[in-house]
Amino acid sequence: MKNKQAPLAIPYVIWMAIFVVAPIVMVVLYAFSTAEGSFTLSNFSAIGDYAVVFGRSFRLALIATAICLLIGYPVSYIMSREGEKFQRVAMVLIMLPMWMNFLLRTYSWISILENNGLLNQFFRSIGLIDLYNSVMGTDIQYFRMIGTSGAVVLGMVYNYLPFMILPIYSVIIKLDKSLIEAARDLGANSFNVFRRVILPLSLPGVLSGITMVFVPSVSTFAISKMLGGGTQMMLGDLIEQQFLGGAYNPQLGAAISLVMMVIVVVCMWVMNRFGEGEEQAVVL
Amino acid sequence: MKKNSTLNRLLVVLVFLFLYTPILLLIVFSFNAGDSSIVWKGFSLDWYGKLFNNRLIMQSVYTTLLVSFLATAIATLAGTFAAIGFYAMRRRTRNLLNTVNNIPMMNADIVTGVAMCLLFVAFFNYWNDFAAWFNTMQRFVELPMLYMGFGTLLIAHITFNIPYVILSVSPKLRQMDKNLVDAAMDLGCTWMQAFWKVILPEIKPGIVSGALTAFTMSIDDFIISYFTAGTSSSTLAMTIYGMTKKRVSPEVNAISTLLFLTVLMLLVIVNVREAKAEERKARSASLPVYGADYQPPKKSVVLAKKAATGVLVCLVIGGMLVIRHSAKAERVVNVCSWGEYIDESLIEQFEAQTGITVNYQTVSDNETLYSQLKTGGADFDVVVPSDYMVARLIAEDMLAEIDYSNVPNFDLIDQRFKNLSYDPENKYTVPYTWGTVGIIYNTTMVDEPITSWSAMFDPKYAGEVVMIRNSRDALAAGLLYLGYDVNTTDTAQIQEAYQLLADAKAQGVYQGFYMDEIFQKMEGGNAAITMYYAGDYLSMLENNPDLAFVVPEEGSNWFVDAMCILKDARNKTEAEEWINFIASTDCNLANMDYIWYASPNAEALEQYPDYYLETYEEELDPGIYEIMAAPEETLERCTLYRNLPAEILKLYNDLWTKLGI
Repeated sequence: MKNKQAPLAIPYVIWMAIFVVAPIVMVVLYAFSTAEGSFTLSNFSAIGDYAVVFGRSFRLALIATAICLLIGYPVSYIMSREGEKFQRVAMVLIMLPMWMNFLLRTYSWISILENNGLLNQFFRSIGLIDLYNSVMGTDIQYFRMIGTSGAVVLGMVYNYLPFMILPIYSVIIKLDKSLIEAARDLGANSFNVFRRVILPLSLPGVLSGITMVFVPSVSTFAISKMLGGGTQMMLGDLIEQQFLGGAYNPQLGAAISLVMMVIVVVCMWVMNRFGEGEEQAVVL
Repeated sequence: MKKNSTLNRLLVVLVFLFLYTPILLLIVFSFNAGDSSIVWKGFSLDWYGKLFNNRLIMQSVYTTLLVSFLATAIATLAGTFAAIGFYAMRRRTRNLLNTVNNIPMMNADIVTGVAMCLLFVAFFNYWNDFAAWFNTMQRFVELPMLYMGFGTLLIAHITFNIPYVILSVSPKLRQMDKNLVDAAMDLGCTWMQAFWKVILPEIKPGIVSGALTAFTMSIDDFIISYFTAGTSSSTLAMTIYGMTKKRVSPEVNAISTLLFLTVLMLLVIVNVREAKAEERKARSASLPVYGADYQPPKKSVVLAKKAATGVLVCLVIGGMLVIRHSAKAERVVNVCSWGEYIDESLIEQFEAQTGITVNYQTVSDNETLYSQLKTGGADFDVVVPSDYMVARLIAEDMLAEIDYSNVPNFDLIDQRFKNLSYDPENKYTVPYTWGTVGIIYNTTMVDEPITSWSAMFDPKYAGEVVMIRNSRDALAAGLLYLGYDVNTTDTAQIQEAYQLLADAKAQGVYQGFYMDEIFQKMEGGNAAITMYYAGDYLSMLENNPDLAFVVPEEGSNWFVDAMCILKDARNKTEAEEWINFIASTDCNLANMDYIWYASPNAEALEQYPDYYLETYEEELDPGIYEIMAAPEETLERCTLYRNLPAEILKLYNDLWTKLGI
C-alpha cells in the first residue's frame, strides 16, 4: 500500500522544480552573465569591493545569533518548567508580535533609541547620564545608540528572538520526562541532569533556532537602513540596491546573492553535521 | 519538576517587556492627535476614522489578508499530501526531496525573492513576446499578456509556506502507528476512507500548527512580497515601505493596532476554551467510565470551526468577486506616485465623476521607480517622477507623448513651469508639484542662523547632522558648497564633492543617512541640521515650532514632479483624463493643502492664501507661503537637475555605495 501514496507528492515535486529549483538556476545564470547576456566572471571579481559589507554582515549576524541563543535558551527552559496555563499564554505572547508589521516594530525602536528618545530620557531621569559624566569626566547629554552597529544588532535580536525560542521550547517540552527522572534516581544533581540529559537532547532545537536567526539576520536590509542610519550597510541592502534600488545591476546582485547563499549553506551544513541529521527542526 | 525561582521569572518578564515596549508605543501613538510618531499632541481617535477612508491602506490590508488566507489554505492542502507522499517514498528519494523542500526555509528571504522575481520576469518576457506574435498571426484565440501582480505574489507565498506545513506534518506521520492504515484497509476501507478515518485524525495537530505557522509567516513577510508582487498589488508592508519619502502615516499604526487586538482576542478566546475543555476532560477522566477515551467533539469547537470555515469561504468568494470585478471594470487607470503625496479624497471624486477605477500605487523614490520600470514588473499608466528622471525616461524612450487636446487644464499651468529643460517642447509632461531643497535646522540647537551649505559638513555639529539618503541630493550639497554646478559632468568636481562627504562622515558629522526618518529626527529634537524638501519642512513645523528653513546662499536645487504617461500604458485615454482632473485648480488647492508642496497651477497658487483662510479661519503666514512657493528671487538662485550621461550616473552610484560601506 505504501507506494500507492507516493504519487500524492507529485504535484508538489513539480511545483518545487518550477518555483524552487528553477529560480535558483536563474540566479546562477544571471550571476555568470553580462547585461547583454554573454558569459562572464566579472560580476564575481566586482564583489571584492564589498568585502567590508560581507564581513560586517556575518559579524553582526553572528553576534545577534549568539545573543538570541543566550537569551532564548534560558527563557525556553524556564518556560517549559512553568504550569501549563502559563506556557500556553507565553507561547501566544511570543508569536503575537509577528502580527504587528515588522517594519513598524522596527520603526518604533527608532523613537526609543533616539538621542532624545525614551531610553535616554529614562537614563537621564534616573541620573545615569550624570553618573556616567562624573565617573568618566565627560559631558554628554545622551548615550548615542541610534545609527550604531549595536542598534542594528538590537533590531535583529528583537525581530528574530521568537525564532530562537520557539524551536528550542518545542524540543524541550517534548523531552521524555522519564529520562530526567532516571538520571535523578541514579544520583545526578540538577546541573548534571541539565548538562548530560536536557542539553544534548535539546540540541536539534538549538540548531534549528540558530539557522532561523542567523539566515534572516545576515541578509536583512530594512533593519540596517532604519536603525543603522545608512552607515551600517548589510548584504541585504547591497542586493536590494542592485535590483530595486538606485544602482540597478541585477547581474551583480545575483552574483552577491549566490556567494551569500553558498557561504550560508556551507555554514549550515557544517553545523548540522554536529546535530542529528534528519529533519528534526520543528518550528512549533 | 522543580518550579522556577523569582529570578528566573524576572528574566522571562524582562524578555516580554523587551518584545512589547515598541508595540505598546505604536499603539499609544495611533491615538495621537498630531501626525508625528514622536511628538504627543493629545488623545484622539481621528486616525481610526480616517483609516477607513484611506483606500490605499485598506486595499493593502485586504491584499495581505487575502494572500495569506489563500496561500495558507493551498499550502496546507498541498503540504499535507506532499508530506504523506514523501513519507511513503524510499528513504533516498525522500531525503533528496526534503533537502529541496528545505531550500526556501534555509535560503535568505531576499535570495528567494530575487530568484523568483528573475524567473517571473524572464518567463513573462518570453510569454509576452510569444503572445504578441501569436495574436498577430491569427484571430481566433487571443492570448493574454502576463504581468507580475497578485498571482505571482500568491505563488511566492505558497512556495515559502508549504515547507512549514510539511515540517510540522512529517513528525506526526512518523509517530503514527504504521499498522493502523493497513488494519483499516484489511477491514475493508478504501484508501480514501482510511485517510479520513485514520490518518487525518492522527496528523491533525501537525496540520493545524503547520497552517498557523504558514499564516503567521505570510502576514509577517515583507521581503519576498516586495520582490514578487510587481506593482499592481501591494501588501501592507509594501505600502509602509512605499511611504519612506514622506512620513509613515499614523493610519498605519491604527490599522496595525486593530489587527493586533483582533488576533489577541481570537487567541485569548481559543485558549480559554481549550483550557476549559481540558479541565473538563481532567475531571471526567477521574471517573472510570467505559469508553471514556472517546470524546464527542465539543459544541464550541465545532462551532468555532464552522465559523472559521465560513469566514474563510466568504473571504475567498469576496476576493474572487473583487478580482473579477476589477478585471471586468471596463475603465481603469494605474497610477504610481510617492507615498502620502495626494489628498486621497481626490481619487474617490475622480471615480465618482468618471466611473474609471483608479489603481493607486506608491514607490519610495525615483531610482526605485526606474528599477521597477526596467525590471519589467511595472504595469502603470501614469507615473510622477521628478525632473531629472523624466529626462532619463524620455531619453530612453519610455514615455508616450500626451495629447494635450485631452488635457485642457494644462492651460492653467503657470508659464514658468512649461517647456522646462527636462521636456523642452513640453510633449510628455504635466507638472504636479514643485518646490525647493534647503537646510532645515533647529534654532535651539545651533548658535547662529544657518545660511550656507557648509553646515552640512561642519565638524562643529558632529553627530547632530542628518544627511539625506539620496545620492543626487547629497552630492548636490557638496557640489553647491564647492561652488560647482549641480549638473556638472566633470568627474574631478564630483569626486571632490564626494570627498567632502566622506571626510565629514569620517569625522562623525553625520548621525546617519535618512529619508522619512528625518521627520521624527527633527520633530523630536534628535538632530540639529538636515537637508530636505520645503513642503516637508512645513509639515514638520506643525510638530516643532523651533525648526527653521533656509535656501542656502550658494543656491540650491529646485524640482518639479511631473505626471507622465508610459509608452506601454494600456489605458492612455483614462490616463489623460486622470491627468486633466488632477491639473484642475480645485485638485491643486486640495493637494497643496494636504501635502504642503506648491502647485504649478497659476490659479491655485494665487488662490491658496484665501483657500487657507476659508478652511481654517485664520490668515496664512506669508513667510510660510513663501517657503512653500518660493518667490522669483529665490528660484533664481536654484537650478533644476538634469539627466546625467550614463557614465556619470554610474559614478554617482559607485561613489554612493562606497560612501555607504
